[in-house]
Amino acid sequence: MSNFSVPRRSLMLGLTAGGAALALAPAAAFATTSPDVGKPAPLFTAVDSNGKSWSLADLKGKVVVLETTNHDCPYVRKHYNSKNMQDQQREAAAKGVVWLTTASNAAGEQGAVTPAQANELTRSRDAAPAAVLIDPQSKIARAYGATVTPHMYIIDAKGVLVYKGGIDSISSSSVSDVPKAKQYVRLALDEVLAGKPVTEASTKAYGCSMKYPRTST
Amino acid sequence: MPRFLALLLVLLLAGPAFAQPSVVQTDNVRAELVSDAATVKAGEPFWVGLRQTIRPKWHTYWKNPGESGLPTEIAWTLPPGAKADAIVWPTPTLFDIGGVTNYGFKDEAMLLVRITPPADFAGALKIAAEANWLVCEDVCIPEEGKFELTLPSGAAATPAPPAVRTLFETARRRVPTESPWSARYGVAKSGDPTLIVEAKGLKPDTISDIYFFPAEWGAVATMAKQTASVTAEGIRIPLRKGEAKTAMPERLAGTLVLTEKTADGTVKQAFDVSAKLDPAFVPAPASLQGLATGEQLSLVQALLFALLGGLILNLMPCVFPVLAMKAAAFARLAGHGQAEMRRDGLAYTAGVLVSFAAMAAIVVAIRASAGDVAWGFQFQSPVFSLLIAYLFFIVGLNLSGVFEFGGRLGGVGQGLVARGGTTGAFFTGVLAVIVATPCTAPFMAAALGFALSQPAPATVAVLLAMGLGLALPYLALSMTPALQRLLPRPGAWMDRLRQFLAFPMYASAVWMIWVLTQQTGSDGVLYALGGMILIAFAIWLLRLGGGASLGTWVRRGVAAAAVLLAFAATLKLDDAPATAASASGGQTSGVNFEGWERFSRARMAEAVAAGKPVFVDFTAAWCITCLVNERVALETAATKKAFEQAGVIKLKGDWTNRDDEITGVLKEVGRAGVPLYLFWAPGADRPKILPQVLTEAMILSELSSIQQAKR
Repeated sequence: MSNFSVPRRSLMLGLTAGGAALALAPAAAFATTSPDVGKPAPLFTAVDSNGKSWSLADLKGKVVVLETTNHDCPYVRKHYNSKNMQDQQREAAAKGVVWLTTASNAAGEQGAVTPAQANELTRSRDAAPAAVLIDPQSKIARAYGATVTPHMYIIDAKGVLVYKGGIDSISSSSVSDVPKAKQYVRLALDEVLAGKPVTEASTKAYGCSMKYPRTST
Repeated sequence: MPRFLALLLVLLLAGPAFAQPSVVQTDNVRAELVSDAATVKAGEPFWVGLRQTIRPKWHTYWKNPGESGLPTEIAWTLPPGAKADAIVWPTPTLFDIGGVTNYGFKDEAMLLVRITPPADFAGALKIAAEANWLVCEDVCIPEEGKFELTLPSGAAATPAPPAVRTLFETARRRVPTESPWSARYGVAKSGDPTLIVEAKGLKPDTISDIYFFPAEWGAVATMAKQTASVTAEGIRIPLRKGEAKTAMPERLAGTLVLTEKTADGTVKQAFDVSAKLDPAFVPAPASLQGLATGEQLSLVQALLFALLGGLILNLMPCVFPVLAMKAAAFARLAGHGQAEMRRDGLAYTAGVLVSFAAMAAIVVAIRASAGDVAWGFQFQSPVFSLLIAYLFFIVGLNLSGVFEFGGRLGGVGQGLVARGGTTGAFFTGVLAVIVATPCTAPFMAAALGFALSQPAPATVAVLLAMGLGLALPYLALSMTPALQRLLPRPGAWMDRLRQFLAFPMYASAVWMIWVLTQQTGSDGVLYALGGMILIAFAIWLLRLGGGASLGTWVRRGVAAAAVLLAFAATLKLDDAPATAASASGGQTSGVNFEGWERFSRARMAEAVAAGKPVFVDFTAAWCITCLVNERVALETAATKKAFEQAGVIKLKGDWTNRDDEITGVLKEVGRAGVPLYLFWAPGADRPKILPQVLTEAMILSELSSIQQAKR
């Protein structure tokens, strides 16, 4: 007599169990730290240094530039002392681009500013952004995966992120390098406004580390 | 205010430093340009180093600074015809500054640069350098310095004073070694690359803190954490694609760091890796394996995956037939009461769990005593592999209908399994686990790796969860009358299915024989297949005729002899591993004997007695520290020459596989493992034990001391 007889059902059960396991297995995906160019830009709402509320969703139809800042950072100073940043802010404004400077260093950290300080900085530096967003919890910086100041982003009229990276190509703190460098943001803005794809859409950002809230890390 | 005081202090301290032109003291860094040559020779390269002594808690940056920061840059002003090479960087450290990941240096860093003076040149060589660096704590400060060195030239180069040479020696030790292994990388559909460093045969439990520092921004993201695993194919590091929007490079360069646990503590190693893009390698998206090795894997997740893994085990070819046995027993019970079925299901589950618990206990015990155990450790024993291959084969023959269990033929396991009722169910569970483990090794390696690397309670919990997963389908069936009603009626199809199931069993036997050849070399095939023929022969003999005639007894005797002979192969295999390294050769045994004699105690004694200097290197293919020592200290041109000049007898002992003679020597000097280096000076009555991390200078000084003694 055979000791082995196999009910079909047990086989089926085995298969089903295994199938379920396989279906569940690849569940986890890596969280990307930074949104990809070509994808919808993360939405945000923030209050600027004058108490006005800005929402990216409301800016649809306009090209938006984001600039993370930290006024004491030597790399930010490089571009303000050389007037490079202010010039580009004015050019952008003239073309209908909304330039938002975000003070995203966390409250209590180096580089964080009060609205009054932000306005004073705009005045003393003769800056011309559409607004300086006060982001004491680094929400905007985190949504965009900003690691440095200045970290630059361009969002097109459809709300798609079309550029992220550095302001220009020479990562130094020396003002004399500004004229020699390829001004990535200016070039990208020109392409976006001309309806062309951005040639260099993701470049290496350089500068001082973003200061994120300590409790959140 | 304290910062101001610190600044003042720094400035005060800096005062005298300005007297030396090659030293620059900034707020946060004392930087110095030093040369390893006191006098240089025309056309002969020498090294200079920019040594940064960094303010505590502050850091400077590596060539790829990570998510922020900038590398130190040096611009050279040299006489015409002189040449400065690119900076040779020390191994970087990972910093997490409030969620921003950086690669750099703290406390001290020396950036090495090779300078080649002009070929036609006399007088003093003037080297000027302008360096700038970014130094950060919470805030970042760009700093710079101008340096000048004037070195006299002569007919021969002379080395710098010992203190400076020590600086260079230390700096060179911090530079990554060229990787002894080749590397490749593939890109998943998601665009994320996975790096494979083909370091085969490493022991996963001894390697930790693996991290790959990409040499450049762009292709690979700067990751706060990487989830590397040590697998049979080598070190596997899943990476994330970087921010550059260009095609992946033909070669992905970077520095691989890891910590190896050796018998005498841990050793940090760093290797320069250049991985070739392998278009054929498309890593699977976050697989069970990748996840299971993840550092973030919590115990709860591990338990869940172990449970799922256990469920999947039911589909493995080796477990399938066991399940069939179980199902058969179950079908017999079909007519019986609900309670009996439930008891049967519980007994089977208990059998599975007890086996897994036993295995967990063995793992924990071995780990406690030997400090190191890999899953499938039982399969490191060729004898076990052979016995399992036999078991698969016999079960396969049975399923094919060559013979039936129930007679005296059945082994103890089958005997117990064949026994009806609760005991039978229990031992079916045990058998399922025994045959499941060979399947587990390749499929669940990573999850098990996690289990084995955990504290004892977690190890036990994960293994038990896996056992529960294995037992679950049957347990569910036995507990649920609704499912039982779905069982089909017994019929002729059952026999056909049973016969079909013999083939996965044979396949499993083939696989085990393959495992065996990995352990013993090709000889293993001969013993295993020969043994199988003997077993088949014995079965055939026993099935011939019946009764208590003389012929029957003769047949039984011959069958017993055949079976004994089959099992005698295990004795033969037991000492086989000693020759395995040479048998399998190639990549599996990575020990290179070029320029070395094979170690034997007799050869060592003979050479020592002859008054020759003897150097003994005990190594193993899986020992990274050994490989590195060979690369940086034992096989360099200078050391080879010095060995030759001193007339040293070089012996190498390969401990990749067990070797009693070497184990004996290790024990005698109080070591639990390799690396071990012994140096017998001529006429010495005992050897000097060298440290487990060697440098070229160390070996050269040992050799020069005997040269001097000779004079």
